[in-house]
Amino acid sequence: MTVLTRFLKSHNMRPADVPIWLFGLAVAALWIMPFIWMISTSFKYPGDVMTADIEWLPRRVTFQNYVDIFTKYKVWRWTLNSVIVVVASTFLCVLAGALAGYALARLNFPGKKALFFLYVASLMVPIEVYAIPMLLGIIKVGWANTYQALILPSVGNVFSVLIFRQFFLNFPRDLEDAARIDGAGHGLIFWKIALPLARAPLIAATVIIFVLNWNNFLWPLLVTFEDDMKTLPVGIAAFTPLYGTATQLEGYAMAMAGVTVLSVPSVLVFLILQRYFIQGISSGAIRG
Amino acid sequence: MTKSKFTRRGLMRTAGTLALASAFPMPFVRTASAATEIIHWSPLAASDGEIWAQMIQNFNDAHKDKGVSIKMEVVNWDDYTTKVLAAAAAGAAPDFGWNTDPRPAFVRDGLLVPLNELVKNSGLDIADFSEFSISKSKFPNYGGDELFQVPLDLMSLVPEVNTAHVSEAGLKIDEWPDDGATLIDWAKAMTKLEGDKVVRSGIMMTGAGVQPTVTWGIVAEQMGFQRISPDFKQVAVNPDAGKAAMQWVLDLFDKHKVSTRDVTDRYKAFGTGQGSIFWTGPWTLNGYLEQKLPFVSKPFPKIGEKRVTYFERGALELYTQKDPSRHQATMDAVKWLSDNSFLWCTKGRGASPRKSIIDRPDYKTAGAPWDVRGAFVEGIEYATAIADFPIINGADFNIYSGGNFLAKTLELVWAGQSSIDDAMTKLQEGWQKALEEG
Amino acid sequence: MAASILERRDLKAPTDWVAYAFIALFTVPFLIFNVAPILFTAYLSFMRWGIFGPPRYVGTANFRDAIENDHVRIAFGNILLYGLTIVPGVLVLGLLAALYVHNRWPLSSFARVCFFSPYVVSATVIGLVWVWLLDTRFGLINHYLAYLGFDYIPWLTSTTWALYGVSIASIWWDMGLAFVLILAALQDIPGDLYDAVEVDGATRWQRFWYVTLPMLRPVLSMVLTLQLISTLRIFSQVYVMTSGGPASASTSVLYEIYTVAIRNQKFGLAAAVSIMLFAVILVVTLLSRRLLREQQT
Repeated sequence: MTVLTRFLKSHNMRPADVPIWLFGLAVAALWIMPFIWMISTSFKYPGDVMTADIEWLPRRVTFQNYVDIFTKYKVWRWTLNSVIVVVASTFLCVLAGALAGYALARLNFPGKKALFFLYVASLMVPIEVYAIPMLLGIIKVGWANTYQALILPSVGNVFSVLIFRQFFLNFPRDLEDAARIDGAGHGLIFWKIALPLARAPLIAATVIIFVLNWNNFLWPLLVTFEDDMKTLPVGIAAFTPLYGTATQLEGYAMAMAGVTVLSVPSVLVFLILQRYFIQGISSGAIRG
Repeated sequence: MTKSKFTRRGLMRTAGTLALASAFPMPFVRTASAATEIIHWSPLAASDGEIWAQMIQNFNDAHKDKGVSIKMEVVNWDDYTTKVLAAAAAGAAPDFGWNTDPRPAFVRDGLLVPLNELVKNSGLDIADFSEFSISKSKFPNYGGDELFQVPLDLMSLVPEVNTAHVSEAGLKIDEWPDDGATLIDWAKAMTKLEGDKVVRSGIMMTGAGVQPTVTWGIVAEQMGFQRISPDFKQVAVNPDAGKAAMQWVLDLFDKHKVSTRDVTDRYKAFGTGQGSIFWTGPWTLNGYLEQKLPFVSKPFPKIGEKRVTYFERGALELYTQKDPSRHQATMDAVKWLSDNSFLWCTKGRGASPRKSIIDRPDYKTAGAPWDVRGAFVEGIEYATAIADFPIINGADFNIYSGGNFLAKTLELVWAGQSSIDDAMTKLQEGWQKALEEG
Repeated sequence: MAASILERRDLKAPTDWVAYAFIALFTVPFLIFNVAPILFTAYLSFMRWGIFGPPRYVGTANFRDAIENDHVRIAFGNILLYGLTIVPGVLVLGLLAALYVHNRWPLSSFARVCFFSPYVVSATVIGLVWVWLLDTRFGLINHYLAYLGFDYIPWLTSTTWALYGVSIASIWWDMGLAFVLILAALQDIPGDLYDAVEVDGATRWQRFWYVTLPMLRPVLSMVLTLQLISTLRIFSQVYVMTSGGPASASTSVLYEIYTVAIRNQKFGLAAAVSIMLFAVILVVTLLSRRLLREQQT
């Protein structure tokens, strides 16, 4: 009895809270059931998938679905494309966002207000609205099916600017002023003082932009014309029943292996860096 | 200049201005080579896609030392036309493609290469092709007597029947129904109900999309409906037949209760035994055979006044290149593929348009077994009536589509949100407008 | 140089010309890849164009066609319905989950990961996993609903249910964002506010009603606006789960734009519908901003 009361006390719980606590945990567990089901299905034999009874743990385990998606489809190539595109665009977007965020927070220049307004206003126009006209433009300059067409449009992600602007607004002025007394220009201050101290927003922006870019769907779908240029989400989308044709006979087992592979990087990044992730989302979105 | 050089130069140009290309690992920049690489686009991604990939591989193996190879890219059906148009507008169209659409607009805009001269130079024997298939590959309104497509396969839509369900219902597959009433009897015998609900369809349907639309198209034509009159002056000839066919489709769901709208993926559903009779194309054969599904294919029953089914013709088409010297090399490749299409027309898709292939003694014994493949080949005889129309807006009339004007109009009927009469009026108005564009 | 500190505080600050170099790396791609295509969309909405050949000016014909188009009309109706199902779902569940995790009871960090992780996976995952979960005959959802005495529900294949099937998946996908934003705001509420009402012997419910909820009002308004905008532009889930069907029952405006442009090559019409959607988003945003301001005063 004392153990229980001490346990409750140490966690600031009343006895009446215990059912709520357990219920909440049950809901949380239920909330990730789709993931468990996805992983469980991906290890089943195709014949064991569409059955009347539910098998939470596969009776017979097979790795064949994973072997198949990597050998029958270009999953390696798609992964490689995704990595190239996501790394390049995330790097550029974060760097550009840090510079612009710094300028908006710390520097004085004509048009600053208008520019900030333009950035924020653009959040109201989703990329899906102008994706098709953009595609036509990209094709006109001969960029269809190229890495730059996959990378460059994601550089102008306003989210990144907002995160850095927010951080630099609260940045202690004294440090900057001291450097100015020593005769350092803004470029030097940015590189030597501001950026090294901006570790938190740097990680936050990187993580968020990474996940957003990793999951990018419509634009890569439109701009890639060849199997070899597809990114992973677009390649794997061929397994969806109505849109794709690949699953028509193979069924869900292989598709679940595909989406498991697709989820691993973003979920891992999130799990490892979740503190930064959540901080960044809050500081970026609150100003949005 | 080869295709790959063009892409590379485009990439280099941007590299200069953006200083970004240095970040791209070099292996991913397509390298130019002395050999001709012919770029081919195909939308084939079902189980027939594997056979088509095999065809391309065979070509490459046969041309190993001849400095020519084909590089195939699989492009989604949905995006195919848009992407070809876009690529052509940017001067980077693929050399040739496989597709089933007639292309009057492509011919009008100069996107397709006229083939008469190239065919002659390559030595392809046009006289070996069926007259019907050749006539469907010319577009006299826009391209005179020129040939614009090389027919590769002819396809009919016929029922595949799950033989396990047939014996379970105490029926004999040799007594396959030949008229609409018996067909419904068979379907009823094989349907499984739970209370009032169909849980296994006697006739495989979906609540929307391609399957009910194509069923309507076939039945309507059988009942005497015509989407366009033979003189291309009038649309929706004999509308009452069209309406009767809509009712026939609705009855499958609501009156006879032999079909359910509740199917997400018809291919998968038939493959897992959730349906007994499924009219579809030969592109499914390879997959169902691999899956060891017990099934045969049978002739399309005569539901209306005459036996008719959906026809589709797969053809290879050459897209205009900046460098016209590529055209002949591509045509030579197309000739090889056509000459060697025995594998494609016995295992992949449909019947061959070429007499020399049909007449081969092993035509019936090679590839997929005749009892699953035969009905598709024989179906060609009565499938000729519903070919696609060679007009600019032909796509609006296609009965094998999940998202065109026709399918979207009928969808509301299947869902009970539009009356049959309203839908027919909408079709007449929309089609009339579409036809006026030529 | 030392004087500059004083100057900046007292006088108008001097222009930092170097700022333009700072913003260039972001602004140039932003102008090319965000702003220019938006202007191009506006231009195209008055044109008829099928990629090949020059665009032809057609006045407001595209807008007329858009208004007369049954499926576009259905799509605008549907995004409002999506708004009515997804937005309250996300808001209520996000609030409950945040309140729960904020208690810092044992294993609350496990719960936090559970509630947030769906937000980081891609639309492709949502589509495939939920199509499988919502399968009528073999799906997990119907399997367990059957234990509760429910008949099989055709989640994605009937005109009655398709929109709700997609909504359920969307709520699961989107809830994480609302959850963390609300959680962050909860953590920012000063503890002494609670201490004050504690003295008055307030019940837990009263504390929530008189302290927590008013303090959360700004973040709730913001989440509402964000979620509303993102729901009006719902696309990927529709694309991968139902292709808008059956009979356009689950279609959305962006999905119609995609179909019109990519499948039917009617780029002018697609642009016109895009402009109409933008107008709707703009009105909704301005309205919610105004509501938010009124609440604060």
